[in-house]
Amino acid sequence: MNLLSALELLKQPVSEPESDRQLYLGCGFTPLHLKTFLAAYLRLCFPKDRIEINTGLYGDLLGSLERLRLSRGLMTCVLVEWADLDPRLGIRSLGGWGSADIPDIVESARRQSERLADLIKQLADKAPIYMSAPTLPLPPMFTTRAAEAHPSECQVREIVASFATSLSAHGRVRMLSSQQLDELSPLARRFDLKAEITTGFPYTLEHVSSLAELLTTLIQDSRPKKGLITDLDDTIWAGILGEIGVDGIRWDMAGNAHMHGLYQQFLGSLASAGVLIAVASKNDPALVEQALARGDMLLSKESLFPLEVHWKAKSESVRRIVETWNIGPADVIFIDDSPMEVAEVHAAFPEMECIVFPKGNYQATWDLLKRLRNSFGKKSVSPEDVIRLQSIRAESALKSSTPRSELGADDFLLRAEAVITFCLAANARDNRAFELVNKTNQFNLNGKRYSESDWLSFLQDPAAFLLTASYEDKFGPLGKIAVVMGKIADHKVHVSTWVMSCRAFSRRIEHHCLKYLFEKLDAEEIVFEYKLTPRNGPIQDFFAELLEGRYGPTPSVRKAYFSAKAPALFHHIVEVANV
Amino acid sequence: MSEHDDRLVRCFASVFPMMSEEEIRASNVATLFDLDSLAGVTLVALIDQEFGINVEISDLLKLGPFEAISQFLQKRNSFEVSQE
Repeated sequence: MNLLSALELLKQPVSEPESDRQLYLGCGFTPLHLKTFLAAYLRLCFPKDRIEINTGLYGDLLGSLERLRLSRGLMTCVLVEWADLDPRLGIRSLGGWGSADIPDIVESARRQSERLADLIKQLADKAPIYMSAPTLPLPPMFTTRAAEAHPSECQVREIVASFATSLSAHGRVRMLSSQQLDELSPLARRFDLKAEITTGFPYTLEHVSSLAELLTTLIQDSRPKKGLITDLDDTIWAGILGEIGVDGIRWDMAGNAHMHGLYQQFLGSLASAGVLIAVASKNDPALVEQALARGDMLLSKESLFPLEVHWKAKSESVRRIVETWNIGPADVIFIDDSPMEVAEVHAAFPEMECIVFPKGNYQATWDLLKRLRNSFGKKSVSPEDVIRLQSIRAESALKSSTPRSELGADDFLLRAEAVITFCLAANARDNRAFELVNKTNQFNLNGKRYSESDWLSFLQDPAAFLLTASYEDKFGPLGKIAVVMGKIADHKVHVSTWVMSCRAFSRRIEHHCLKYLFEKLDAEEIVFEYKLTPRNGPIQDFFAELLEGRYGPTPSVRKAYFSAKAPALFHHIVEVANV
Repeated sequence: MSEHDDRLVRCFASVFPMMSEEEIRASNVATLFDLDSLAGVTLVALIDQEFGINVEISDLLKLGPFEAISQFLQKRNSFEVSQE
């Protein structure tokens, strides 16, 4: 985006804004075009929001952030540049670059980076922070020639690396990737010396546009995909299994098939982060069984589920896999080396991203891995991510053994050895709860989604509560699967958000959530902020059954009624303060 | 009006969104920059990016009216093209 398009975009009024998006922009230089580009990219991402960007005082990043600490939590972008660590690392201050000055500059930068990191962490406890570490070249202040790194230069870079490491580990700080920025904005074209001296704005327009674009990507926080379906022949391995046999297929350098090994290793990495990986292959199942059992496979057979190996259409395999996973096609990527198979699956599932595996093309395979990482990227791996595949296998086993009659269901649930772990608190740091609320569609009271700021703001209300439920039975753990949020006043609970993972259906966990709320909050009535959505059929069914079809736009249930109508609940309950 | 002129009007309009095209064509940057100190910096950056011509705020102030700036940019543009 160039400056003219950014300004023209911002001139257009937002017709009927749905919400206000306030952002604080913290930087030590004059924000000038950064503010313009950031507002423009945010407008593109959130066209229905009214964007408001506030800034601090020029030349005083630390002071601006200190003042911000006193205000209520506000989503914040922080751009640190060298001069914010010590003015002598910039060019506007003429404080001396003599050899004797350098150790002091390094020490002062270290102390300032620690102060900034502490302050940013405190701000991140109240609201999300999106930030970048210094992006500009260091001035020619060290005694070595340009080609040689001076030890003090290395020290300064180490200080910034520690600063970025410490902040990026904070759950609510999103640190901009310097590698990604390097790809978009070459170092030599970032610094505008004339603008820095004449206006106090150090970036070229090209660089500020890239920075603003990447910061907006961080703010946008798009949902990662959940599953990947892959072919086997000429994809997971090089060669056609049916033609060259189990010992003929390769994924190593000697077999000129290293990119397939890299792909396997990459899928293993995705699987370890909770991404579901399945196989759809037109092949002989017995041969595939032997191939996947080869000791040198980099991707373990256990991380692949389900395996659809037969000679039927790929779209049929994909349909069955998606059903087993119980996720939408839009959350899945399909990869096959055959353009025809890719086209067939895409025709059946237009929402699914379908990609031709670029066999034999090194650069394109490398680009594919980067693209996949971007699609499945997440900041951290949760306990639920780790057990996801295990619980889907358990769910699959459960489905094949669940009886249909109510009496049979009682008996089945009684023997399931189920344990629900409840945590009733207003723990704003519960990232899994936040994630569940923002991604669950089916058992979802009203489809309401939260930004991190809204989430924190809601839970800061003293009347607010957040109930989470984790579940485990003899078939395996499901992890944290339900979240209820609301407020309590005068023995009346007002539930504004209620979601439950579809993996936890048919276990009466939803009934136990209500029972627990009645008991623990000493409530006489629970009122639900219900809204019909195109996808929340399961919660409609729940209300229809519990309230026998008699409920208005705001359903409610009284304690005595619930006690009389709720089915038998066999779960063992564990209560924890914070999980 | 030339395409070159229209581009300059767009630059002015994005910096001074409240002004109509007629007002822009009749304007003098000396008055405009007095009202908004950041406007000069933004207009200079826009001219640099849109016309590939490096000018200073002081150059624009010396030129004054929109018409004079437009003619100056046109001359600089044709000079730079002939140098290539």
